[in-house]
Amino acid sequence: MPAAISVSDLSKTYRTGLLSRSTVKALRGVSLEVPKGEIFGLLGPNGAGKTTLVKILLGLVHRSGGTARLFGTPVQTPAARQRIGFLPENHQFPGFLTARQTLHVYGRLADVPQIRREEKIDELLRRVELYERRDTKVNTFSKGMLQRLGLAQALLNDPDLLFLDEPTSGVDPVGRRTLRDLVLELRDEGATIFLNSHLLSEVEKVCSGIAILRDGEVVRKGTIKELTAVERVYDLVSTPVPDDVLDDTVLRSSPDGTAPAPDLRAYRLQADDRATLNGVLDRLRAADVQIESITPLRRSLEDYFIDVVDPPSDVDATG
Amino acid sequence: MRPLYGLFLLTFRELWAKKVVLGLFVISSLVLLVVTFALNLNVVEGSLQGLRLFGQEATPAPSANGQGASEGPQLTLTNVVVTVEAIVAGMAYWIGILLALFASASLFPELQAPGRVELLLSKPISRMQALLGHVLGVWVLVGILTVYLMGGTWLIMSIKSGVWHPRFLLSILLVVGMFAVMYAAVLLMGVWTESTALALIVSYGLIFVSLVLAGAESIGPLLGSVGRPVLWGLYHALPNFSEVTELVVRLARDDPISSWYPLWSSLAFGGVAYGVSGYWFVRRDF
Repeated sequence: MPAAISVSDLSKTYRTGLLSRSTVKALRGVSLEVPKGEIFGLLGPNGAGKTTLVKILLGLVHRSGGTARLFGTPVQTPAARQRIGFLPENHQFPGFLTARQTLHVYGRLADVPQIRREEKIDELLRRVELYERRDTKVNTFSKGMLQRLGLAQALLNDPDLLFLDEPTSGVDPVGRRTLRDLVLELRDEGATIFLNSHLLSEVEKVCSGIAILRDGEVVRKGTIKELTAVERVYDLVSTPVPDDVLDDTVLRSSPDGTAPAPDLRAYRLQADDRATLNGVLDRLRAADVQIESITPLRRSLEDYFIDVVDPPSDVDATG
Repeated sequence: MRPLYGLFLLTFRELWAKKVVLGLFVISSLVLLVVTFALNLNVVEGSLQGLRLFGQEATPAPSANGQGASEGPQLTLTNVVVTVEAIVAGMAYWIGILLALFASASLFPELQAPGRVELLLSKPISRMQALLGHVLGVWVLVGILTVYLMGGTWLIMSIKSGVWHPRFLLSILLVVGMFAVMYAAVLLMGVWTESTALALIVSYGLIFVSLVLAGAESIGPLLGSVGRPVLWGLYHALPNFSEVTELVVRLARDDPISSWYPLWSSLAFGGVAYGVSGYWFVRRDF
């Protein structure tokens, strides 16, 4: 079973200027795989190469080297785009078309048969809450409405893989939540979603896996849980730990933790190895401490991202 | 085929939404109304006995054999029909093509605009198909407008006069063909520079240059050893828009054509320009 997205040693060099003398290396040997059914986030500072990577996957930019496949089909063939949907960041629809006409036009371009289009368009217009405005020209639509229409456009062919480029850009919090819920619903229906967003809080809420690009290279990839975990530091919630145990172990009161119940306390534990961790747990048990939970400490994705993309002065994650 | 058809329809609708195209349709309709109602031919037994335009007598009193007065060119029924058709063909060729180029020049740069091109090229359609669908959409709409004006004029004049000369219909192909040639220049500049203004400047510039090149035979001997081959090189390489006017009018007037070369060399230019446009469009990064 091929991965939804499979990229190996992908490189892209833009040639600019007279006689293409000056070159810009946008991607340098990028390799990553996005399994089916996952919401995957692509992060990186401005100019990291995120947009170039997405555009290569969509056939908008030609690669200079390496391979890129969607469901096992090379991206340079139109057939690779048969099962995908794409919502560009600042998409523009022909203003003279109504919402329904727009979806018919792009449905036809996406090779959706007419009968299927008729059913799907009404269903999608309802789903993105534009059914009442179906016969309104799109040049009168607000940014949020255009974004929802764009999403409907991307879903016309029931895509197995959906590319979303800054889907919540310019959308108010309510619209953002609607879009987020829709993305989660699509994931539950089995679609793979490739999300490019600078709103790290949004990424953190919906994505399972992420990759961080910097200077055209993948510098980190993995699940958010793995990446944001602080090594060998744990948050522990238990009944109160006696002071003598607290003094003798690597256990400290949690600086920011609040216990979930009045009879419980929050602690932070730093164990350099497994033996130390187990030793502490043994001592707690010996002191008759009841452990409620022990979880690895996590940073926010934003903190992690800022640590990874140096210098920290450029915290914008757009590419 | 569905995506190709989709782009064809989109281009067609986009062009139709332009006010210039609507204007061309209205002007064509007015011409047809004038030809139908304002131009009255008094035909008796196949001969022209009188001609009235907007109710006014437009010719000297005809002689007994149905021809005009002895002074000036003789006005036969056939002459009137082919003259009207030639005027309409000339109008369609010059005014029609210039306005159609003006209306369509922005289409391809707009199609390549950020936010539009991503929506198009992320669909399961090859770039060549995208280009083909676009070009066909433009050609077909211009073809429909040309057939509406010229075909309508031919039909009305033929019914009114009883003079049918189908050779006039070939001039429709020439008008559409030369539009296609000039649109190749617009497309080439559109793909290359994404600038509507530059596309128009270049295409109108080529038409202007063709006016000069039409006089190559007279100008050539006046030039030096460097200027002469350059002039002839341009004459053979660039579209002979101006010279093809004569072919259109000759077909409309049912006159013999001495040489089709201006048309063939123009079509060759168009073919090369479309080929280069396709090559660049396929290779480009967006």
